Parts: sequence; structure tokens; C-alpha cells
Amino acid sequence: MKLQEFIVRRLILLIPVILGVSIFTFAIAQIIPADPAAALCGEKCGVVGSNGLTAYESNVIRLGLDKPVWEQYLIYVTNLIEGDWGESVTFHRPVVEKLRDAAPITLEMSFLSLAMGFPMGITLGIFSAVWQDKLFDQASRFVAIAFVSLPIFWLAMMFQYILGTQVGICDPITQALPLIPDTEGGCFPIYGRHDPTYTFPDTGTGFHLIDSWIVEEPTKFNPQTNQYEVSMTHWDMFADTFKHLFLPCFTLAIASTGGLLRYMRASLLEVMNEDYVRTARAKGISETRVILVHAVRNALVPIVTILGFSIGGAIGGAVLTETIFAFPGMGKTAVDAIVYLDFSMIMGVTLVTAIIFLLSNLLVDISYAIVDPRVRLE
Amino acid sequence: MSNFTNDFVFYSLFLLISFFTLGIIFDRIRGKKWSDGLEDRVEGLSRFIQEWKQRVYDIRKSWKIFRRSALAIIGLTLIITVSTISIFADDIAVEHPYRNLQDTEDLWWIDNEPRREAPFSEACDWHEQGIDIFGIKSKGYSRYVTAVSDPVIVANGSLMPLPLEIIEIEFLEDELGYELNNSLLIVHNETTFFVTDEALNVSTSKIWVTYEFQNEDMHHWWLPDGYDVCIMGTTNTGQDLFSKILYGSRISLKIGITVAFLTVALGTIIGSISGYYGGVIDEFIMRVTDVFFAVPGLILAMAFVAALQNTTSLTTAMSTVAFLLLLFFFTSLRGVIAELFTGEEINMSIRSRIQSLLTNLDDGVTKQQPVVKLLLNFMLLLIKLQFLLYTILGALVFLFLWSEIWPSGQGMESQKAMLLVSMIFLFFFVSIIDLNYNKGISSKFISKQFSESVDFGNPYRFLALRTILIFVSVVLLIIVTNSSESRFVLVQDFDRLWKIQAALVLTGWPGYARLIRGQVLYIREMTFVEAAKSVGAPDGRIMFRHILPSAWAPLLVAFTLDVGGTILSASGLSFIGLGAEPGTAEWGILVSDGRRFFPNSWWLVTFPGLAILVTTLGFNLLGDGLRDIVDPKNKR
Repeated sequence: MKLQEFIVRRLILLIPVILGVSIFTFAIAQIIPADPAAALCGEKCGVVGSNGLTAYESNVIRLGLDKPVWEQYLIYVTNLIEGDWGESVTFHRPVVEKLRDAAPITLEMSFLSLAMGFPMGITLGIFSAVWQDKLFDQASRFVAIAFVSLPIFWLAMMFQYILGTQVGICDPITQALPLIPDTEGGCFPIYGRHDPTYTFPDTGTGFHLIDSWIVEEPTKFNPQTNQYEVSMTHWDMFADTFKHLFLPCFTLAIASTGGLLRYMRASLLEVMNEDYVRTARAKGISETRVILVHAVRNALVPIVTILGFSIGGAIGGAVLTETIFAFPGMGKTAVDAIVYLDFSMIMGVTLVTAIIFLLSNLLVDISYAIVDPRVRLE
Repeated sequence: MSNFTNDFVFYSLFLLISFFTLGIIFDRIRGKKWSDGLEDRVEGLSRFIQEWKQRVYDIRKSWKIFRRSALAIIGLTLIITVSTISIFADDIAVEHPYRNLQDTEDLWWIDNEPRREAPFSEACDWHEQGIDIFGIKSKGYSRYVTAVSDPVIVANGSLMPLPLEIIEIEFLEDELGYELNNSLLIVHNETTFFVTDEALNVSTSKIWVTYEFQNEDMHHWWLPDGYDVCIMGTTNTGQDLFSKILYGSRISLKIGITVAFLTVALGTIIGSISGYYGGVIDEFIMRVTDVFFAVPGLILAMAFVAALQNTTSLTTAMSTVAFLLLLFFFTSLRGVIAELFTGEEINMSIRSRIQSLLTNLDDGVTKQQPVVKLLLNFMLLLIKLQFLLYTILGALVFLFLWSEIWPSGQGMESQKAMLLVSMIFLFFFVSIIDLNYNKGISSKFISKQFSESVDFGNPYRFLALRTILIFVSVVLLIIVTNSSESRFVLVQDFDRLWKIQAALVLTGWPGYARLIRGQVLYIREMTFVEAAKSVGAPDGRIMFRHILPSAWAPLLVAFTLDVGGTILSASGLSFIGLGAEPGTAEWGILVSDGRRFFPNSWWLVTFPGLAILVTTLGFNLLGDGLRDIVDPKNKR
């Protein structure tokens, strides 16, 4: 099977799952004890409009609530495809717009956390497998289990306390990483996406790490020279964004490290028993080279699949970190929406996270198929 | 709680005794004697003892493997410690938390100590007490005021304030919290204040006096001398954090174990159906799990919590689940049930009849009668899809008739209970009649078989009937739960955190369904299952007596790991405000409540979080150790 054919087949297989998710979100909205028609008009529900109906009644007709359930579902799906995901009562704006703003924030956080957690997990896993059943292996086994058992929200707050407010505790870190300028109090800011002293231009992609190089540099009026001056350079903005992202991402990275460590260890141990590793050893290649070149590269292939699931875990964990670090991402949006029973927002968030998760898994599968062509034959 | 235990024991005993009496009466009617089945019984007993010995041997062997891993031992120790603490929380804790989910009936008043004191702070021995200046002025109360604690439950069970021994006055506040001069009150003797004239002239109706006290009754009995202070500090409402954490262990363990257990049960049922029957059902269930897997766990759980938002009582939900289970068993497994009662197998079903009819038609005359053939084929298809049809039927009944039968939010009335029971019996008789029709057996034969099936002498009949008995007793329990005369309470106000629990169960089952499906697919092909099939054992029996017992090992590991995971997710959900109300002694809520005062009052967040970490770690380490036992590589 060719790669294109494989990709097309996988894409087609996605459709029923996404439809299933849409049925699920629709069912949730049916069960949620909130009247969307009443929520939209609020206090003005009794006002009679030009067509002789009250605002409430016209809302009922507009939303199609007087139709049978299956017809409502069809309308829902049609609206989804047309891009009309409803109006959020909590945020007073269309769901799609809010999600367009929120999704990059969560994605940025998830991807950066994986970028941090992946090397940690892989490195620890390699050492753990190389020194199998030694003290380091036992210790890393404990660490892996402990990392999985850590409550993310608690860990995040501990980091806020230790790295965010304790003066002087991370001087060595700031010296080692010169891109993080000194912060008052601790070394990392404990909430927000950027420093409150400037406004980040929202003309870019929404991913601030990328945007900081794309958007125009913010200017400030300087009364002494009587002209506008650049207050933040690209580099300043990037460093500031990274600084703000570091703590939530590091928290999520720790949570994902445990699983990666264990999978890497198991995978590497399996590869070490393969014939080609034995051959490489018999050829007299140094042990380091055998492990790094022959074993680890092959052991990494199945780890790629784990990455797909880690993205789901990171998005789920982002609900907690976003709440704690005050990031207006999808997790925070979902929490706010649920508190006010804003059903269209809940539907939207659930659907979008599902689509993101499925697409990232698809990407992982495709890359897996490129690396290991045997997969395509299934 | 004790009521529940008593009633449960009583009803179980009642059911058991009535069953045995029924069996003996039936035996007498048929003219059987006690000694008739004696050999069977003795053999059954010896077989039971043999199995027991084997089990003990297995456990010993497993313990040897388990012992090798130090981490697993640490995990086990952690779990035992946490469970012990949760059991003896009443004795260890200094005070009961304000909202106590376990013993709502023994509500304690908080001993309202000062606010947010650091661990080991001296101020934990302070007490705040209001003195009614207005009362003294207008109603002529005594100006000598006794120092007493807030009401606590004393030895005889009544709610009484305890007298306190004053050491010194710390500060005075008026109603609005402004500090007053300490000289307004004078310590008269060890237990009384004297209200001075200046105090009476202050323009406030109440003075709040905070003083240090010394009372043996109010202190931790288990702490060494000199540590008579709150060892983990106090919360923002002045409650002892340590006590709250102790009580929180009850909730967390309960949530963890309940949810993991229910998830395993649901996942096992669905997964085994999927794996055993295969085909369309399998495909459908797997697509459903795909959908569940597509949404990240926490967000899915949040969506479920939102959907459950307005449901206030668990009774309806529990009864719904019980009813659906009954419906499922009595529709899709009705053949099995009929077999259990009559002791006969269904070999000649309608399906085979139609098939033979079709082959007859194919032989000769068919060509002229395509309509008949089409009709027969259609019937065959219907019978093939029997399972699906019954499920859909059940779902339809549930969707459309349920709200009529059982309006949400209301308990079950006796008539409706009667309706339910009669529906169940209807299903039962339908299955019997179905069999009768299929096989052309006379009703006399069936009644004879039925009377023999209640046979005390035959242990295997007993086993078969036990299944039925469980369902009947579940229904009985539900009925008894809601009638006003009974003091039996099964699910009423079961737990305020049940929304989280339900959401986590609904989120977690697909994982188990897939695990069990894999196991069933693997075991289904084994020789002993084939042997069971070849002697004509019904599907239900093969499933429950042959396949599932062989698949328990990975389930146990997953269960243990899931308890830890559930505690984590439940506390996460509580943290974002979807679980209990603020102030509840639940670890997630404690962290969430303490967040407002973080990082100044660091202990409010640190200690509950540590408690979550320790408990989860214990379960995860234990699960990891169990995995070693289960691993076939270690079977030596």
C-alpha cells in the first residue's frame, strides 16, 4: 500500500469517530438541564417582537428546539460543518471565535510540555535499561511511579511556591539559562501569558512563541525624545513568553515523563535482545555506540505511538495548569463553561479537543508508517 | 451505617433461610429425604476444601514473588497505613470536620479556633468566644462570663460546651473585627471573665474575646507533652487541618475503590460481550470506545459532570442501572435463564427450524415462491440480530416508558415497585414460554423441572438459582430502600461526591472493555472453552465460569492502578470546583480552598496534596508489584 493511500484510508476512518463524538456532545447538551433559548434572551424573554412572537418563542424556533430530536441533531451537524458552533453565554461571543483564540494556547502548552518531557523520559529510560536492575534502575522505577502519582495541580502550586516566589532559590538556573532574565521575587512568573506591563499584539497565529518573532514590536511614547520607541524587542517578547510558559509546561512534562520512561526502558530492553545488536557487539563496536546508534534508534520507533496518547494527557492536564496559571486556554474555557452550564461552549470544547487528539494521533500514525513501512500493510 | 449493616445482614439471612426452607419443603413434597443427596454434598464439600487449599498455595507463591520487590512492600505499607488512618480517624482526629460526609448524623460543631495558624503554632491553643454586651445591658445577664468551648459531643452523646481554663487574654474584637483594648475584660478566676464598666459603654452589641486556654479534653491525646498544638496548622475557618486530612482519607479511598470497582464491573460486562459475541456487536462497541478515547479523560469527565449537574439523587440512577441490568439479563440472556430453570438446553431453536425449512424450500419448490423465501430469510436475519433487537427494545422502553413509570427526582412508590417486579416476572415467564414454544415441551414438564431445580441436595442447582436470587434481592433492596416505613437506607444521600464518581465511571469503562475484550478473544480460542462449548454449556456459563476466571489477573493489576488514578482525577475535578462544596474534608477541595491563601499559608496546600500523593503512590506501587506476580515470566 502506498503512503498516500494509507493516509486517505486513515482519514476516512476518522469520520465515524468524529461523528460519534458529535453524537456524544449532542447527547450531553440534551441532558444538561439548561434552556438554551432562555439563556440567549435572558431578561427579555417576554418581549414581543415584530413577528408577533415573544423573544423566547422566536429563539426556540431559531434554535430548532420545537423539532424532533433527530432533526435537531441533523441541524446541529449541518451547523457544525458550516462553522456555526453556537453562541457562548459565558463569554458573550461565538464559540468558534473563542475556541480559535483558546486552542493555540492549549496546544502551545501541550507541545512545549512534550518537548520538555520527551528528552527527560527518553534519557532516564535509556540509563534505566542500560543499568538494568541496578540501583539507578530501581530508583528510576520509583521515580516513574511517583511522577505518575503526582497530583498535577498540587505540583504546579509547589512550583509556583518554590520557583516563583522564593527569592534566590534559582540563581543557578538563571545563570545557566541566560535567556531567562531576573524576575522580582522568584525566577519565574507564576501566572499569565506575558508581562502585564505591555500588551501582546494579537495579529499573529496565537502561538506566542512563534508570534513573538512575527508581530510588530510594541512601541511606547517616550516624552523625552518626543517619539515612539520600541519597548520590547522580538527577543524580549520571546523570552518573556517562554518564562511564563516554563512553569506550567514543566509541570505537565513531569507528569508525562513517568510513562515515557517506562515505555522507553521496556522498548530498549526488547531491542537489546535482538540479533542485530548482538551482531554489532560481536563486530567489536564500543558499547556506547551500540546503544546510541543501533539500539536507541530502533527503540524510539514504538515510542512515537506513545506520543500520540501523551498529547491527550497533556491537553487533559492543561485543564488544571491553565486554571492555576491563569491561561485563557481551552481547559480554563471548559471549566468556566461548566460552572455556568454554557452548553454550546462545552460541546465546542469537547469536539475540538477530540479533533485535535485524533489529528495528532493521525500525524503520529503517519510518521510511524513512514519510519516503519510494515505498518502500512495491515 | 450500623443500621445499614444490621438490615443488610437481616435481609440476606432472611433470603437465605427462606430459600433453604423452600428447598426442603419442595424435597418433602417430592418425598425426598435429607440423606438422599448426602453423597453429592459430601463430595461438593471435599471439592471445595481442595480448591481452597490450592488457593492458599497460590497465594503463598504469589506472596513470595511479591516479597522480592521492596517498592511493592512500600506500596502495601502505605495503603495499609492510609486505610488504618481512615478507619480510626474518629479516634485520632482532634475535631470532626464541619461537613462530615461519612457520618452526617453525628454532626459536630467546629471548635472554632483562630484562623489560619501555621503548623505547631502556639496560637492553636487559642479560642474565640463571643460575649453578649447588649444582653448584659438590657436583659440583666451576669457580668461574670464563663469561658466555654463551642458545643461538642460529650460522653453521653448530647451536644454540650466544655468549660475551658483561661491562661491569658490575647486580644478583643468588636462585631466588625476592629481590635479593642484588652483591659475591657478582666480574668476573674481560672474559668470566668468579668465584664468591666468600660466594656458596657463600648458601642457594640458583642465583644469577641480570644484567649489562650489549657484543657486536657481539647488536646491530642496521642501527641507527646509539649506538642499540644495543631501539627498541620489550621484552615481559613479555623479548623484543624490534620483532622480534615484524616477524614479526607475516608472519602478518597471510598471514591477510589467504588469507582474502580464499578468501572471494572461495567467494563467487564461490555468487554466480554464484545469479545465473546464478536461481529456487529463487537464492531459497534469498539467504535463507541473509540469515541470515548478520542476525548481527553479529564475533559470527558467534566462533560459528564455537567450533564449530571441537576440530578440531585443517586437513587434513581442506581435503580436505573439495576433495571437496565435486569432488562439486559432477561432479554438477551433469556435462553440462558430458561435453561437454568429447566435444566434443558435449547438446541432446536426457531432459527434451526427456519433453516431446515429453507433448505427444504431450496430442494424443490422454491423457485415459484420467492416471497416466502424472502420472508423466511428476513425472519432468520431478525433472529440473528436477536441480541441487538432486544437491546434496542430495552433502550426504547427505557427512553419512552421510564419517565412515565418513574418520574425523575422521586422515589419509587409501592405500586411502581409492584409494576417493576411484575415486569421482571413477565420477562421471566416470556423466556420460559419462549423455550416451551421452541421445543414443544409441555408445561407440566417445565413445572416439574422447576420444582426440582429448587433442590437442596444438588449444589449445582443451588448455584444456578443463586444468580436469580441475586437479582430478585437487588430489586427487593431497592424497593425496601424507598418505602417510608423501613429504616433501611441503601443509597439515600449516599455521597455528595457521587457526580464525580458517576462521571469517572462513565469515563473509565472503555479502557477495561478493551482490556477484557482482548483477554476474551485470546481465551475464547483455548481448548477448555471449546470443551465447554461442545458439551453444550450456555454462553452465560462459559463466560462467567470459564473465560472470566482466567482473565482476572490483568484485571486485578488494572484495578489497583486505577484506584490510584481515580483518586488523582477525583481530586483534580474537586480542585476545579466540580465536586464537593468548599469546606468539605476532601483533599482536592482542601487544596482548592487553600489556594486563595497560597503561598503565605503554604501548609493549606502542601499537606492535602502530600496526602493525595502518598495514597496514589501506594496504590501505584502495589499495582506495579502485582504486575510482577501476574507476569508469566516470574512464575517459577
